[in-house]
Amino acid sequence: MIELLAGVAVAVAALALVLEPILRRETHWGPPGAGDADDDFTPLDESESPKIRALLALKEIEFDRATGKLSDEDYDQLKAEYARAALVAMDAEQTVKDGATAVADDPAEALIRAARASLRVCSACGPRPEAEATFCSECGRRLTAPAA
Amino acid sequence: MTAPIGRRAFLWSAVGLAPVAVVGAAQDTSVAPLWQPGAVGRPRGAITNYENDPFIIDVERRLRCTCGCNLDIYTCRTTDFTCTYSPQLHREVIGLVEQDKSGEEILAAFVAKYGETALMAPPKQGFNWAGYLLPGIAITIVGVILAWVLLRRARRPATAAAGADVAGLSAEEQARLGAALDRLES
Amino acid sequence: MTVLGQLALWLALLLGVWGAVVGYLGGRRGDLALIQSARRTSYALAGILTVAVVALLTALVKNDFNVAYVASYSSRNLPLAYKLSALYGGQSGSLLFWAFVLSLFAAAAQWLTARRYAYLLPYAAAVTSVVTAFFVAVALFAANPFERLDFIPMDGRGLNPQLQNPGMVIHPPMLYLGYISITIPFAFAVAALFTRRLDVGWLHAIRKWTLLSWVFLSVGITLGMWWAYVELGWGGYWAWDPVENASFLPWLTMTAFLHSVMIQEKRGMLKRWNVILVGVSFALSIFGTFITRSGIISSVHSFTQSSVGYFFLAFLISGGLFMAWLTWSRWELLQTEARLESAVSREASFFFNNLLLVGMAFSVLWGTMFPIISELVRGTQVTVGPPFFNQVNIPIGLALLALTGIGPLIAWRRASPQNLQRHFLVPVALAALVALGLVAIRLSDFYAGVALTLAAFVTGTIVQEFVRGTGARHRLHGENYALAFARLVGRNRRRYGGYIVHLGIVTYFVAFTGQAFNQNLEASLKPGESVTMRSAYGDEYTFTHVGVSQYEALNRFVSAASVDVARNGQRVGVLTSEKRQHVDSFGRPSFEPSTEAAIRSTLREDLYVIYAGAVNGTEEAVYRFTINPLVAWVWIGGAILVFGGMITLWPGGGPSERSIQRGMEGYQAKLPAAGVGV
Repeated sequence: MIELLAGVAVAVAALALVLEPILRRETHWGPPGAGDADDDFTPLDESESPKIRALLALKEIEFDRATGKLSDEDYDQLKAEYARAALVAMDAEQTVKDGATAVADDPAEALIRAARASLRVCSACGPRPEAEATFCSECGRRLTAPAA
Repeated sequence: MTAPIGRRAFLWSAVGLAPVAVVGAAQDTSVAPLWQPGAVGRPRGAITNYENDPFIIDVERRLRCTCGCNLDIYTCRTTDFTCTYSPQLHREVIGLVEQDKSGEEILAAFVAKYGETALMAPPKQGFNWAGYLLPGIAITIVGVILAWVLLRRARRPATAAAGADVAGLSAEEQARLGAALDRLES
Repeated sequence: MTVLGQLALWLALLLGVWGAVVGYLGGRRGDLALIQSARRTSYALAGILTVAVVALLTALVKNDFNVAYVASYSSRNLPLAYKLSALYGGQSGSLLFWAFVLSLFAAAAQWLTARRYAYLLPYAAAVTSVVTAFFVAVALFAANPFERLDFIPMDGRGLNPQLQNPGMVIHPPMLYLGYISITIPFAFAVAALFTRRLDVGWLHAIRKWTLLSWVFLSVGITLGMWWAYVELGWGGYWAWDPVENASFLPWLTMTAFLHSVMIQEKRGMLKRWNVILVGVSFALSIFGTFITRSGIISSVHSFTQSSVGYFFLAFLISGGLFMAWLTWSRWELLQTEARLESAVSREASFFFNNLLLVGMAFSVLWGTMFPIISELVRGTQVTVGPPFFNQVNIPIGLALLALTGIGPLIAWRRASPQNLQRHFLVPVALAALVALGLVAIRLSDFYAGVALTLAAFVTGTIVQEFVRGTGARHRLHGENYALAFARLVGRNRRRYGGYIVHLGIVTYFVAFTGQAFNQNLEASLKPGESVTMRSAYGDEYTFTHVGVSQYEALNRFVSAASVDVARNGQRVGVLTSEKRQHVDSFGRPSFEPSTEAAIRSTLREDLYVIYAGAVNGTEEAVYRFTINPLVAWVWIGGAILVFGGMITLWPGGGPSERSIQRGMEGYQAKLPAAGVGV
């Protein structure tokens, strides 16, 4: 009997866990993954950026010549090839950055930036919602202006 | 793999010695009986020279035990001492050896009696060749095709593709590249 | 506890189906609520199956013999550790164990995967849920571990004595961990196909999983060999048994995958091949379970004995068709990005390495299936034993060994033939030296000679790689040799950890050659009598029978026979081999008598003594003496391999994360500037 009750309890707990997101339908769930940590800045993997990929290839070519695996001719050829690729990738990246600056001229973007700039940051609790406050309403620490 | 080295000579000596050994074991009273003789598996006879005969072992390694263990007769009779089949098959082999049969003849006799499954490896004939050769042939064919494709694809004018050499980069480009490389330590 | 266990199983089945539906729909629609629910399903499955496992363990520990499973695989006098290991000692328990471990892995994958790859997770959850649900379903409908008998036996049958061995307690879980963890890379591959995002993202998400499952598989296989060696008593460790082959197959394809992944990461090539390899590895891991459980191979006719086989066959076929369709429908997206630059390059050598590994997998599979094929084609059953497998596979294995040496000498992208000569000089000279030495000592076995020569060659190349790499760093970066060596390995753990793994493989091959020089001798000895045999090295061993002692132990009656061993006239020690008659708690024999080998292991050779039985119930003992050269190196090779695997797996490595981040600064900066993130 106790066992049956335990089984029912387990079942209810499992169903609650699984169904809760659908029944409550709130929007605060981020995408899954190790999402609770602020890992948007986890370094991208090298092979996901053409620039890094080409740079690493250049390093490898250098190393292969140093260990004597590449002849000087092959080295020159490959180096030229990958130097071009790296430069092209770097140029492309620069263009994207310039594009981003261009976006920044947008009036809406400017508004958002102004709003963000007025937000204060607590060293312990992160950004605070109340603009122009001096102390954190959560822990009482002195707030600082956000690092742009 | 057959090893009929001095088999006949060995056989004569074995035939000569075996009865002595067996009689010796049967008459021996100098060995104490065990406390629980029934607890040590199947009762065993003494080892004769047949058990260690390289010729017999070689034949038995090529024949399968019929007990369902998937082992050859030699391995089964010297490993799973609960098996009743392998000692029996061992005696069959000895019987054939005593009739002065050659290794191939003994294998043939087993195939005739138990079917082709009696052999640990299928005989190299007919369809069985597919079993032996297919993987090797497949690997070779794919390997040759692979090598051919690689050579054809890779054989492009390498110099043309490379275009300019490093010297073709402007000083500014070289500096930018150098800076980027330095930032990426390795 | 069976009610709770039973409930948990049904709930797990329900949740598995739920997770599949929600994961797929969530991924498809991008509905965060559904995605969150799918993710939580993974956690819930892990929790619920834990409950089920605990329920079965409780039944085992509490000797609840009314439960059929407990009655079949445990008994009152079984030591506690073996009672717990009975969890996976039988068919239905191991199915439950499988589902349980898979659910843990699936939960870990949901928990640990970086948010960057979150787009893959809903589909991955769907796949793991389906596979978990499948195993739970088989447990529920074909082999239920919680089934009760309609009576209560006084005692259980006990665990098979051959499974009562410390090696057996850890060997199956290790192998299972290997088999099961393949599901995670497979799930991510399917997810990548579904999302149509077939760049290297999914490969990065599973990088550690792939390595981890490969290490688990390797450890599991090696422990399996160890168990067979110490417990089965034939003096060998590999017999090309279908069950052994089944574990070897996914190992081969995973090894191929580990190599080909690098080509996709570096060059964007082989995308299709990688997806196929993961699919095949997963299929082979299921196929392994199928073979182990259905008994289809050792005898075609035992197939109907268990309906479990049908479940696996159906799962294999439907899964294979599904995977084929999925890959086919995304075929165009899997186009290669780069072209091969030279036929003499690391890439090209990896192509051939993949060819040989997959070719060997095909060869082993072909051999394993050949009895069935022969019966279908000719109507005649044949036996495919070690002689067959050795003839077919040793040449392939040796070719692989040679490639292990050649590959690292060739640079990525393009190698220059004249430089190759310089690199081959030292290893080839070393190999030639070894070959000459082998000829001088008149090594009788051709393959062993080739293997040892190649082993010298490969070792030469690996050492040379480390030496030259250290030298190059010393010259390029001005580091002293110690620092240069540390950074060489530390900054490129995958490459240099991989070389250490190669060294482990070489060690295996060296150990395997010892098998060609086994010596066997059977003898019946009265107390005080001795027998002499000569080892492959020419040492003379004398074994003197001391006597037989008989005594009762916890759950068995033991007859222990001892020999006094001397090498070249010098006393080495006493070796004691046992015959064990296991009994239940009423003293009745419960299994056929089993044999415990006595092993004295040294780096040169193992002495392996088996007490085969008593002559006419007297103290005259029948022994089998085996001298096995180099066996210890199998285990040492395993240890080296795991060590190399750990280096490769160790977090970090590569160019330091900070330096990559610095290199990416421009890229990172544009994200906040463009209003993404933060």
